[in-house]
Amino acid sequence: MSVAPPGESANRVRGDLMAYATLSLISIFCAIPFFWLLIASFDGNAQLFLRWPETWTFANYLRVFAKEDGAKWLFNSLFVVGSATLLVMVLSGLGGYALSRTRAWWKLPFLYAILLIRVLPSTALIVPLYKFLLTLNNAESALLRPIFGSATRDIMRWTGFIDGYLGLILVLATMQLPLSLWIMKTFFDGLPRDYEEAALMDGATMIQRIRRVLVPLALPGLAASGLFAFMSAWGDFLLPLILLSSPELQTLPLGLFRAFLRINEIDYGLLTALAFIYLVPAVVAFGFARRFLVQTFSGGVKG
Amino acid sequence: MAKTLQERRAERQLMIVLLPSLLLLFAFVIYPAIYSVYLSFTNEALTGAAARAPRFVGTRNYARLFNDAKFWNALFVTFVFVLGSAIIGQFVLGLVSALALRRRLVFRTLFSSIILLPNAAPEVVAGFMWISMLAGGDHATLSRILSFFGLPTADWLQVFPLTMIIVVNTWRGIATAMILLTAGLSTIPQEIYEAARMDGATPAQMFRRITVPLMMPTILLYMLISTVSTIAVFGLVYALTRGGPGGATELISIYIYNQSFTAYQLGYGAAVAVIALLVSLMLGIAYVRAAKVEI
Repeated sequence: MSVAPPGESANRVRGDLMAYATLSLISIFCAIPFFWLLIASFDGNAQLFLRWPETWTFANYLRVFAKEDGAKWLFNSLFVVGSATLLVMVLSGLGGYALSRTRAWWKLPFLYAILLIRVLPSTALIVPLYKFLLTLNNAESALLRPIFGSATRDIMRWTGFIDGYLGLILVLATMQLPLSLWIMKTFFDGLPRDYEEAALMDGATMIQRIRRVLVPLALPGLAASGLFAFMSAWGDFLLPLILLSSPELQTLPLGLFRAFLRINEIDYGLLTALAFIYLVPAVVAFGFARRFLVQTFSGGVKG
Repeated sequence: MAKTLQERRAERQLMIVLLPSLLLLFAFVIYPAIYSVYLSFTNEALTGAAARAPRFVGTRNYARLFNDAKFWNALFVTFVFVLGSAIIGQFVLGLVSALALRRRLVFRTLFSSIILLPNAAPEVVAGFMWISMLAGGDHATLSRILSFFGLPTADWLQVFPLTMIIVVNTWRGIATAMILLTAGLSTIPQEIYEAARMDGATPAQMFRRITVPLMMPTILLYMLISTVSTIAVFGLVYALTRGGPGGATELISIYIYNQSFTAYQLGYGAAVAVIALLVSLMLGIAYVRAAKVEI
């Protein structure tokens, strides 16, 4: 470092103080809404406003599982979002590899297409998507009913496109695919081809090449792609809102939203506990994703 | 030279592993996008006679849309929402945070973690927390803070609904702006600042003459990307206000939802959706061209 002229260090201190002040204000703005959630969820007599509890208790959390179907909502969310994330990791791993290595004519059109798909708002797609899924669902139901009779509804709960796990999983996964494909394509672009070519020379098949060489090398990329898919699918509210109606299939955001709509008997302790349970996986995933954020926002988005 | 047999086989294998992604994207994004254009020319509905036998109605939905005050209201609300939260709120606070975090401060990681936190909260949770913040009565957090400073209180979501959803969305998106702008700032070489300092430039001059011009490309890209993603916001505002009171926060996304799934008018909802798709697509194309995406 060069020696600073006399006025310089005073300037720096003043700048640092201003930075501390601004960052403190912005941090308070960012953090303050969370306090209520955290404190009220342990308050024996929680209210809509922030207050210091007279009695601290876990009862709210217990009520989520005992009085409400919290366990089922949590399971549904974990199952649906987990499956979608897994699907995205597999598909974006394979697809990103193909997009990175191919020299075919469709490479550029496909890449531009997934960039543009990312800007389409899902609210604008939801109407035709709903109609299309309804058609698929009716066709599937017509196909299954003669074979399974009255058991059809139970099967459709898993494989249906509307009000079934399968439909929600597929659509949630598809919405995350453009970003994940882009992350994986960029990731494979940075991997030298030497390893694959060596494996190819040794006579390894495509499957062997993927399993033995590419998957181990691609793990960091897959982690990023999976984390972003998980975070976005976990927070999504619109798709479950439109696609699910049975109480047995309800996920956490729906359970939370509907519990809040029961205007006359809002149980704030229960609601905040439920919201906190729903919040934790998102924050944990965000913590893990932090080191990928810069690359993905400035790289993945910017191209 | 002709492609070898092996090369052609490899290309075919690559096509096959990409196929599942292609199929899903086609079935659940591209086909619905095209289908929405078709739907927008019909009187398709969720229930009633039109649901059983939808008819082709030509441009009637678009004519209706043009004369629909609620549609223009939704466009206006969306415009103000984007301008207030993405273009001004998130950008200014994100830029200030990015600049401040460039200094070697003691609590740097802590500050940036806290600023990232709102971005991690799921939409419904975020909406729910802000209902508590903004509730009416003297006990709600915002009212209590303001009355501490001797300022008046109000039932915020009833009296200033649009301003409040702008504040909430600003809160949620500071992190995205901060991250993108930090990346942009880091590409400006330190030597330029050193040289300017040698010439006796003040910090304000350096900011105006060096930082702003060199950041311009990043800022432009940020504006485009955040506009597009703010047009798509639904759950956060829906959980907070459901478009009310009286349409004051009815964003275009909420208007589409209400027309389609509350009023059951799928054809008309699709016409509104087509407008939203076209606007987003145009911004997206502008973005891809401006970013000079390297593929």
